[in-house]
Amino acid sequence: MSDFEVILYEKKDEKGYITLNRPKFLNAYNIKMRDELFEALSAAKDDPEIAVIILKAAGEKAFCAGADLSEFLTAPPPVAARQVRFERDVWGLFLSIKKPIIAALHGYVLGSGIEMAMCCDIRVASEDAKFGVPEMGLGIIPAAGGSQTIPRIVGRGYAMEMLLSGRWISAAEAKKIKMINRVVPRTELLPVVEKLADMIRGYDKMALEFAKQAVVDGLDLPLAQGLELEARLSHLLPI
Amino acid sequence: MPNSFVLVQKNNHVAGLTLNRPAVQNLINLEMAQEMDEICRQINQDNDVYVVILTGAGNAFCAGSEKEKSLQSGKKQIRCDEEIARKFNVAASIASIEKPVIAAVNGDALGEGLEIALACDIRIAAPQARFGFPDVASGLIPSDGGTQRLPRIIGRGKALEFILTAEIFGAAEALETGLVTKVVPMSDMLTVEVDTLAKAVAGKAPISLRYIKEAINKGLDLTMEQGLRLEADLYFLLHTTADRTEGIKAFQQKRPPEFKGQ
Repeated sequence: MSDFEVILYEKKDEKGYITLNRPKFLNAYNIKMRDELFEALSAAKDDPEIAVIILKAAGEKAFCAGADLSEFLTAPPPVAARQVRFERDVWGLFLSIKKPIIAALHGYVLGSGIEMAMCCDIRVASEDAKFGVPEMGLGIIPAAGGSQTIPRIVGRGYAMEMLLSGRWISAAEAKKIKMINRVVPRTELLPVVEKLADMIRGYDKMALEFAKQAVVDGLDLPLAQGLELEARLSHLLPI
Repeated sequence: MPNSFVLVQKNNHVAGLTLNRPAVQNLINLEMAQEMDEICRQINQDNDVYVVILTGAGNAFCAGSEKEKSLQSGKKQIRCDEEIARKFNVAASIASIEKPVIAAVNGDALGEGLEIALACDIRIAAPQARFGFPDVASGLIPSDGGTQRLPRIIGRGKALEFILTAEIFGAAEALETGLVTKVVPMSDMLTVEVDTLAKAVAGKAPISLRYIKEAINKGLDLTMEQGLRLEADLYFLLHTTADRTEGIKAFQQKRPPEFKGQ
């Protein structure tokens, strides 16, 4: 059901699967992928038949090894860049999705790859996964939210170390610093993620949406306002 | 009205509170919630209490609440329901205590029971204790601070997993994620462990304990600059206390200090 070139989009049992599909290029994120991800995420966001979104990647070596550097020196003129910022804001779209998103991570999870993973709600990785933020070595900074999402997930100390040094970390270390929720053998990755997704899709969609909203929005508020948000949402759910 | 659903025991500046409906795993009912609210008010005003311990009678810490039973089902009565629901909010009462509160999680802490544990400052668990938010499995969300305090304590990723999956998890995972700071090897060691900790904390100057709690809790909601200002202000206020003078004297005379909370 998918006419995409560099991603796959499938639906099964209320689960929307988005698969990064440039395995020969370690699923490097390019402009085509940006446009297709934008369409697939928009579709999954609006599709009432989808309760949970799963983000995974094809091939053995990488979830996503970062941005496709071959496109880096073909920068669009400023007018086009501004237009893209409005019309193709994939990261803003990611964060606006109210459904739970689970990331299945393996191999290289670098640069844009780690930033995509950080936009998800629950992260499961296989034992071979490696995480890193290499931007500093290229004279740039993360541009897909990494400087904001990573410290909010792992805390300032580890985020600073990863961003400033560019050091890669293993799945075990990523689990220890709470960058990911679980580490499983490579063969178990998709089954474990699907099991989680199946458990979650059994619950009331509005309760899930409100629970996610209370946690995510609440963390941006002072505690007292967060508690008010939770109370308001909780009383909107029919008993 | 004598307290029956919450037992209170005061001993050497430590107030021990015990949720007391052991036959129903200490499920919160309206009477228990109202008793607890009153007890928390009294503790804040009682200068003789320096530290609070919270635990459950019997095998459970607290397995949840009977709140839902009290709400009108199926009808659109949001305002009325909200008023009733707020009366059940034991975690909100616990969070209003300005003194250090230690949770001795002796058994299951589920739903509102977990929210109560999260409202305490330090959590120590027995090995058989289980934790979880079953709320989304009933089409609900945690509503006594769980969606706010859990991510602030264990981080966003793990909090979303626990709340969105409604899974029950054990003491080992609670320790690994930082939900509890310690799990005792045997359940009968919990009381001694918690009492020892409470005694150690109660030996410190009571006003500085309150200020530390205030600095951390309020500071987390402020910008770094504002938080540092709050800390400095509280620090200089402590210089005006008699306990501060006693602390220095005791140090110079190489004896334990005798703090009076003044």
